[in-house]
Amino acid sequence: MSNSAVSLYLDPQIRDWVLFPITLVMILVGILRHYVVLLLQSPPKKLPREAIREQRAMARAQILRATSANSPIPPVYYQSISRHLSETFEAGTYLKDGPPRDGDAPKMPANPMTDPAAMDGMMSGMKTQMVMMVPQMVIMGWINFFFQGFVLIKLPFPLTLGFKSMLQRGVETQDMDVRWVSSLSWYFLNFFGLNGLYRLILGGDNSADSSRDMTATPFAAAPAGPQDYNKLFKAEKDNLEFSEGLYKWIGEGVEDRVLSRYHKI
Amino acid sequence: MATPAEVAAQQLIYPPNVMFTTQALTTVKFLAACFAGAAAGILGLQNWSGFALFLVSTLFSSLCIHTLNCRGRPAKYIPDGWTGLMNPGQENASTFILVWTLFYGIVHVYD
Repeated sequence: MSNSAVSLYLDPQIRDWVLFPITLVMILVGILRHYVVLLLQSPPKKLPREAIREQRAMARAQILRATSANSPIPPVYYQSISRHLSETFEAGTYLKDGPPRDGDAPKMPANPMTDPAAMDGMMSGMKTQMVMMVPQMVIMGWINFFFQGFVLIKLPFPLTLGFKSMLQRGVETQDMDVRWVSSLSWYFLNFFGLNGLYRLILGGDNSADSSRDMTATPFAAAPAGPQDYNKLFKAEKDNLEFSEGLYKWIGEGVEDRVLSRYHKI
Repeated sequence: MATPAEVAAQQLIYPPNVMFTTQALTTVKFLAACFAGAAAGILGLQNWSGFALFLVSTLFSSLCIHTLNCRGRPAKYIPDGWTGLMNPGQENASTFILVWTLFYGIVHVYD
C-alpha cells in the first residue's frame, strides 16, 4: 500500500499559474454565461389589448379569492367587485373575441409545433441549454490540453481507489495516494462548488447555476396552448361564488378587539 | 385542499417579507460554509475532523440565528421552522469542500 506519510513537494508556481487561474476563469465564464443568456432572451411578444384584458380579469378574480377568508376589503367593496366579475364572466364581455355567439365551434387547442407562441418558448429553452453547455466543454478541453500531466493539489479527505483513474488522469502512477489529484478534478470541484457564489453575486435566478442544467429540459417549459377562456371564466365564476361564502372581513368586530386590548371592556 | 384554518393562517403571511428572510438565510449559510472551509483548510484538518468542523459550524450558526434573530421561536420567522433553520443550505457542502481544499492546498501543500 502507498505510504501516505511521505509528502510531495509542489512548485509554488503551479499554485500561481494553475490553481488560481482555473478558479478565476470559471467564475468569469459563469458570469459571462449569465449575461449572454440574458441578452439572448427575446422580449416577450406584446399581446393585443383584448387578450391582456381577459388575462387581467382572470388575475383580478384570483387575487380577490386568494385572501377571501381573511379579506382586507370591507364587505361592500368585496361583494360589489365579486358580483361585477361574476356577471361579466357569465356574459363573456371580457373575452378576446367578444361575447360567445350561439353555434360557434369550440376552439381547438393548438399543437405546440404549429403555435408560434409555444414554439418561441421551446426555442429559448433550447438556446439556453446550448449556451450553458458549450462553455463547459470548452473549458474542459482547455484544461485537458494545457494543464495535463501533473499533480495539482492534495485533497484533505480520502477517496476510494475507484476514483484514481478519473482524478489522476494524466499522471500514470500506481502507488500514489488518491488524494493527489490533477487539474481536471480541480475543475470538477469548482464546477460544483461555485454555484453558491453565483447565487450570491447574480441573484437567485441566475443562468450560471450548474445545478439547473441537470434538472431542466427544453421541452418541460412549453406553455399550454391558447386556453379556452370561456370555460375558464365559467369555472372562475363558480370559484368566486364559493369564496364569497368563505368571505370574512378581517376588520369585523375590530372595535371590540381594540377596546378589550385597552381593557375598556 | 388545505383546511380552512390552514388557508386562513397562510393568508396572514406577507410574501415579500418571507422572500427577504429566505434570501438573508441563504446568504448567511453560504458565508458560514465559506468561512468554515477556510478555517478547516488553514488549520490543516483532515478526513473526518474537517467534516466535523462543517457540522459544528452549521449547528453554531443556526443556534446564533435561533437565539439572536428568532428570539427562541424559529417557527414564527422562518417558513420551515426548525428544519429550515438547521439544514446547511443548498449545495453548501460542495462549497465547503471547495474552499477547504483550496486553503489546505495553499497553506499546507505549497511551500
